[in-house]
Amino acid sequence: MNDPHTLDVVIVDDHSIFRSGLRADLDATVRVVGEAATVDEAVELIEKLRPAVVLLDVHLPGGAGGGGAEVLRRSSALMDSVRFLALSVSDAAEDVVGVIRAGARGYITKGSSGRDVSEAVVAVAGGDAVFSPKLAGFVLDAFGAVAGEQSESSDELDRLSGREREVMRYIARGYAYKEVASELYISVKTVETHVSAVLRKLQLSSRHELTVWATARKLL
Amino acid sequence: MTTAAVRPLLQRPRAAAISGVCAAVAAHVSWSVPKVRFLAVVTTLCGGAGLLLYLWLWALVPLAPSHTDNRREVRRSVPIAMMLVISSGIAAVLVLLFALGAGQQGRSPALIVVALTSAAAVAWSLAVDRHDPSRGTRYGLVARGSSATIIIACSLSVWALQPSIINGLIATALIIAAVALLAAPRIVALWGDLIAERTARVREEHRAEVAAHLHDSVLQTLALIQNRAGVSTEIARIARAQERELREWLFEGDAAPTTDCVAEIRSIAAAIELDYPVRFDVVAAGELVEDAPVALVSATREAMLNAARHAGGEVSIYIESTAHVVDVFVRDRGPGVELDTLPADRLGIRESIIGRMTRAGGTATLRRGSGGVGTEVHLRIEEQA
Repeated sequence: MNDPHTLDVVIVDDHSIFRSGLRADLDATVRVVGEAATVDEAVELIEKLRPAVVLLDVHLPGGAGGGGAEVLRRSSALMDSVRFLALSVSDAAEDVVGVIRAGARGYITKGSSGRDVSEAVVAVAGGDAVFSPKLAGFVLDAFGAVAGEQSESSDELDRLSGREREVMRYIARGYAYKEVASELYISVKTVETHVSAVLRKLQLSSRHELTVWATARKLL
Repeated sequence: MTTAAVRPLLQRPRAAAISGVCAAVAAHVSWSVPKVRFLAVVTTLCGGAGLLLYLWLWALVPLAPSHTDNRREVRRSVPIAMMLVISSGIAAVLVLLFALGAGQQGRSPALIVVALTSAAAVAWSLAVDRHDPSRGTRYGLVARGSSATIIIACSLSVWALQPSIINGLIATALIIAAVALLAAPRIVALWGDLIAERTARVREEHRAEVAAHLHDSVLQTLALIQNRAGVSTEIARIARAQERELREWLFEGDAAPTTDCVAEIRSIAAAIELDYPVRFDVVAAGELVEDAPVALVSATREAMLNAARHAGGEVSIYIESTAHVVDVFVRDRGPGVELDTLPADRLGIRESIIGRMTRAGGTATLRRGSGGVGTEVHLRIEEQA
């Protein structure tokens, strides 16, 4: 996890107070190379700077009014080298699902501390997915995992496998990846693999409930 | 001139004869009301000066403060609308007499008086009596209905007795006017609804705008304050309470207020956060539990209180519910407790959590968090179907 070199990060948020606050809060593992306040500025800046990670606010002015998800769609050509971590004050399901399905590698609330954000940046840069407890709870709900729906193989996109469900439940209970690993007697790497698999399902699944959920409910 | 006595304010009373102008003036200059009324009549006879002054005062003197919801509510003892209807009726009788040949000269003025008084009766009933609780809807209907009837009857009979083009035109115009008078309350009501609806929409739009602004800027700032101040500080606690309040206000209209156990636990979390340096992260998955067993909610509260008192910091709560089972996990990162080493007189965990859940037919387990950090309380209750 501890890269010898620092990670380049671009902060995209329309509030300068928040940008400067976050900038001051992030620890030494990340270096803020640029800031953008609107959709168009963000797309341009990301294209030019190609940072390792983009911290992306869900609600953004400008562009076609699509906010963070629009930035993701317009930068999709860079998705292999640039990772996106969504940040928001809201836990509303449609916001979460919108950015995750547009390609964000994780979702973190703005209430998280600078250390948490830095750790999440490092994880996302390393190719892992970042799940907050709320996002995990949402996934369990949206995939019908609570009601006991389970896929036979881990390939099926519309359901979680048994192991994925267990991992999600621990994350929802507030366990860190390391703690989940020790609870399930598996390695942290395996936990990360499961979480990435769930993220992929969340992004690609055409499960009807996902969209219904997103519009009908709000997580607060 | 030398009296320094405080004069009552010049304001019209809520219970009046016609408009309350005379009573207001009388109270203000401490004369008797009949004296003022007499003066008003006398000055009116002097070229209408009194009437002008009366109307001017009526328009400008404010009403006394209201004690009811309808701030235009005034009770009037003189039935002006009915008096106008009666004058209209008398004028109509005169019109008939003139039309029957008593005197052609007076017919047209009498007809004009009929039209004017009837119109005034309807206008009074719609504009003034609407705000008078002592005048019911039936009173208004009678006033407006009889005005219209008088006009129609009057014009038809004139036309029938003296058929001519002019009379025909006048009759038609009067009948149209009468129908319009009858339809007037509908139109007034519709107009009122339209205005009210527009006001409501403007208000809603304004609210949404304010909400969007607050959501974007104030919530962010509050989040930032919490970050920078650290979870356990007083400042973060205040900011968090404020954030919660603001969120409730912002999303108030979005969801119907539910009484499910998740909402209950959320409000408990909010209450505890006010008193202790703790932050609850409440996550829920599964179906809504409409009437959760009281024991579950109280045991959860007890577990949350323990976490707040002994651990503080970040506490995770996860509620998972299916149709038959509700699981609640409360996890803190404090020093941790061992049930076996607790003194026997510590009733918090043993009684309020474990005992309570057992009596309700559920289970409560307490264990060290992962890696020996903190405590996790697991409450589980199955519905007896």
